[in-house]
Amino acid sequence: MATKPRSESAVNALRMIPTKWAVIIIGVVIAYVVFQPRVNQWFGWKLPSVASMVGDEKPSKATTKKGELAKNDTAKTSKKSADAEEDLELEKETKQEAASPKKKTAEKAKTAVQADDENEPPAKASGQPDSNKPSPPTKTATKPKNDSNDDESDPLYGFLSKVGSNRYESPAGLVYGPGSEEGHRLKHIARHLEDQPKRPGSHGVIKGGMRAFLTAIDDGYSRAKKGEKGTTKKEDGDSTVYEITFEKAIGFVGGEAGGRKKNPATKKLRLVVRGSNVITAFPF
Amino acid sequence: MTAPLIYIESCPICGDGLCRIRVCITDQRLIGCVLCDECEAVWTDPSMEERISRKPDADEPQCPSCGLSLWSKNAHWANVGEVCLLGWYDRVRIVSAKEG
Repeated sequence: MATKPRSESAVNALRMIPTKWAVIIIGVVIAYVVFQPRVNQWFGWKLPSVASMVGDEKPSKATTKKGELAKNDTAKTSKKSADAEEDLELEKETKQEAASPKKKTAEKAKTAVQADDENEPPAKASGQPDSNKPSPPTKTATKPKNDSNDDESDPLYGFLSKVGSNRYESPAGLVYGPGSEEGHRLKHIARHLEDQPKRPGSHGVIKGGMRAFLTAIDDGYSRAKKGEKGTTKKEDGDSTVYEITFEKAIGFVGGEAGGRKKNPATKKLRLVVRGSNVITAFPF
Repeated sequence: MTAPLIYIESCPICGDGLCRIRVCITDQRLIGCVLCDECEAVWTDPSMEERISRKPDADEPQCPSCGLSLWSKNAHWANVGEVCLLGWYDRVRIVSAKEG
């Protein structure tokens, strides 16, 4: 007794099924044919192809294995590249932002600091702050690592020279290194480039960009170390707190408290250091 | 959804920072302390009577119990539940995500 070919028996079976169901079954088969190789690649499954089920070819194990290997490699390299990206972040910022127009957005203040011209007019000295992000960042600190491709001769922000693994020194001898919630002290003090009007208490905001900020810090530190008029120094446990009064306004007081007083301009800077390592600095 | 901001008061050391509750989880124990988010001054509890000094060679503030960095993966800003577990709920101010 001759056996019917499989295709004939399949067609006969479909004829017995109502049309509606036949259409659905055909649609499912087509979808399986289309998506089976993609699903195998995405999820590393080993779904057999229709052809293999019919009996014409073996399932494609090689491609599945390649997909898995590619995934593993991608996972490994993505972690490395993420670290490398953080390494270069601080040093690439100045190059990028020197070419791009000035922008002061909440996101840029959080992840990048701007090397603005010192003569830039104050963004918020008039006491009309823009609405900004509310509470302080709550992310886990990331620690940028040194990258072997750094050009150590280029000063960061045209001001800080690299003195070690992700450590930068100012002309006055202040060191900015890894630390703080943001992962680096430069990112930490960059919070003071923008107001946080909904932050409880006060939040000092510097006038100008990061370069102006670092210059003011250095100038204040040099004067405070000499004990010049208009400066104070207070030892507080393992930290030293300097307060420096400048001749002109260097920023304004933001945050909720500053906002209630219509963001008054201020000439004073507070600098907290441990030895020569900067912890934080801000107008107050 | 942004988490609410939980703090005790403005920092008496730097003036600009907020003294917030930082928790460290070590050996399945929850250890709380008060940390200024600006100058990194550390206290043992919300009374802020006992300040914790940092070791001379430490670059970062340390947990008063295990000594690990308070910026390490073991630590994070306390949420409301953890503040309650520590028994400090009546010592803190909470700014909701809408307000803060």
